[in-house]
Amino acid sequence: MKNSYSSLRPTRWSRWIATAVLAMMAMVVGIPGAVAQPSDDSVEGKTFVIGTDTTFAPFEFRQGGELVGIDMDLLRAIADKQGFNVEIRSLGFNAALQALSSNQVDGVIAGMSITDERKEVYDFSEPYFESGVQMAIDRNNDDIQGYEDLEGKTVVAKTGSEGESYAKSIADEYGFRVTSLDQSATMYESVKAGTAVAVVDDYPVLAYGIAQGNGLKTVTEKVPGGSYGFAVNKGQNTALLAAFNDGLAELQASGEYQQIVDEYLADPTEAAPSTFWDLLTQSLPALMKGLSNTLIVTGVSFAVAMILGLAFGFLKISNNIVLRGVATSFINLFRGTPILVWAFFFYFGLAQLIGQTVNIWVAGVLTLSLNGAAYIAEIVRGGIQSVDPGQLEASRSLGLGYGRSMQKVVIPQAFKIMTPSLINQLIIMLKDSSLLLAIGFAELLYQGQQIYAANFRVTETLLIVGIIYFVAIMALTKLANFADRRFNK
Amino acid sequence: MSDVSANGKGAPKITVKGLRKSFGSNEVLQGIDMEVAEGEVVCVIGPSGSGKSTLLRCLNKLEDITGGTVVVDGFDVTDPKVDINEVRRHVGMVFQHFNLFPHMSVAENIMLAPVELKKLSKAQARTRALELLDRVGLKEKADARPASLSGGQKQRVAIARSLAMSPGIMLFDEATSALDPEMVGEVLQVIKELADEGMTMVLVTHEMGFAREVADRVVFMADGVVCESGPPADLFGNPQQPRTQDFLSKVL
Repeated sequence: MKNSYSSLRPTRWSRWIATAVLAMMAMVVGIPGAVAQPSDDSVEGKTFVIGTDTTFAPFEFRQGGELVGIDMDLLRAIADKQGFNVEIRSLGFNAALQALSSNQVDGVIAGMSITDERKEVYDFSEPYFESGVQMAIDRNNDDIQGYEDLEGKTVVAKTGSEGESYAKSIADEYGFRVTSLDQSATMYESVKAGTAVAVVDDYPVLAYGIAQGNGLKTVTEKVPGGSYGFAVNKGQNTALLAAFNDGLAELQASGEYQQIVDEYLADPTEAAPSTFWDLLTQSLPALMKGLSNTLIVTGVSFAVAMILGLAFGFLKISNNIVLRGVATSFINLFRGTPILVWAFFFYFGLAQLIGQTVNIWVAGVLTLSLNGAAYIAEIVRGGIQSVDPGQLEASRSLGLGYGRSMQKVVIPQAFKIMTPSLINQLIIMLKDSSLLLAIGFAELLYQGQQIYAANFRVTETLLIVGIIYFVAIMALTKLANFADRRFNK
Repeated sequence: MSDVSANGKGAPKITVKGLRKSFGSNEVLQGIDMEVAEGEVVCVIGPSGSGKSTLLRCLNKLEDITGGTVVVDGFDVTDPKVDINEVRRHVGMVFQHFNLFPHMSVAENIMLAPVELKKLSKAQARTRALELLDRVGLKEKADARPASLSGGQKQRVAIARSLAMSPGIMLFDEATSALDPEMVGEVLQVIKELADEGMTMVLVTHEMGFAREVADRVVFMADGVVCESGPPADLFGNPQQPRTQDFLSKVL
């Protein structure tokens, strides 16, 4: 594309950009890591944001769309007794701890063992549950009777859990390998699939899963282990911590505590859906909510990505070397780094940098739209450059300015060329939005995980999720192609 | 070389002095001096690569000018303070490959400039477009898409489009070179009518017969310089320079 008419002068722009870069550096350097929240003695009437795991049945899991479990019931009962409100964020274990460190949440209750290491950074409540770890194997496996049969085999455990440390501590003695996964449900699947022979997990979790018919059995005794505690950041939210302890003591004295625990451990609740049809009807409301979040975050991100992509696409074909450099750097940065890295950065890293919580929708849209914008910028550049340069010359020779010529003559033609690639990009973005589950964004696949974490029907749930994605993407493709035919005649 | 008064036409509409144009280290125009008087029709001929098209494209600054001055209709186009868009409204240009806008109808192609530049209302521009189409014999094609036209029809629409802003000067860059032979005539006919109406025109062309017929003056270029120029009868009938003689012996 010939563009010898640009009136932007390099000197002015480079000065502007230099100023912007300096300002950004000053922001990054000048702002302290985290801003401590003022502590207040009373919790009465306040709302606290509490982070938790996504998939740690029977402590936290979803049943009919509602978060339930020992942790959830205890927390709500305590909040009720102490007169405060809780807003629960189901983030995943590691994500919840990162959210706590970055002050995205006020506290974490996630079946978390109290360890000396964690006490360095968090303040814990009185222990509310005495746990321990246990090993389980496939129900039909009769070869493994104890740890000594594990020689040369692979054992799976949950990343960062008590079970993992225990398994690693005896791995050399018995000669087995330990691999780590993030979720109980996937650990059990991998045992059933034979990629690992055994799983070491917290005993209440295993007991609950076996009662739900996850196809495993236990062969060794429970190893008494950690106690679970509710955590806040060290030195912060002291009133909340005190209220938790008071409420817990009250529940234990009244016997309500035992009721809650027994409800989940002694007699596993509501049987898991038995047929595929039951599973479908029970999970559909949550999955539809997830689909709606997927579509909204994709739609908003795509709109933002289009605006940014157009802007950077134009900079990319500019005659000005500084502007071109800015566009090239942007494109390389976001094309050359995984989406997940940015999701974590915008949700956790940015929060620590600016000392303020970042809304998960903002983090999600930033992640998807900046990544999408990098690809769209290239699509825009390619589209504009593939319009015959004679078109711009003809328009300019009529006396129309550069901007007007682009708007009336070049872009409408470029847009027609770009449409198939843009539709493709939209579909990629919709699929990529599933990566946001890593920061706890409640999109479609996340909802699927929540469901199979509670009922252990991993394959069937994923099949339903897959079909929903497929149908949504097919419908979107048809719609986009229809719009293409209608507007790009 | 260019004796304005000799052809009996008016004051100069185009004055080119010492025009130089380089693409990288390749100097395509090596100092061109030329004047075109009001109402004069000048045909530029010469072998390919001689710089004819580049010279034409310098006249409305489609090419950045490396050196020298070009004054068109009183505007010094090499002066950065001059609004080149304003100059271009006075200078119509017709391209070898038509460059019609494929996403617009024939009439919209013609209406674009008058409407966008706020010269005419949409309705007025449409009336004007139909008049111009009538003039090139294509009134019935007003609502057709350019893709449905033949090459000759496309070029006639392109001429109508370049007339929409009522320019005082027309530039033709090998306007018939991309046409099938049977369509050359209809386009040349339109150009000839413009010449007869007194339009100031510069044409880069390979149609020697046409140049001889319509031109007031023929300019022969070779290797980035004007080699010889004069009335067609002289230049074709009695060329003085060996380069001109050599070229004409090959094309005539």
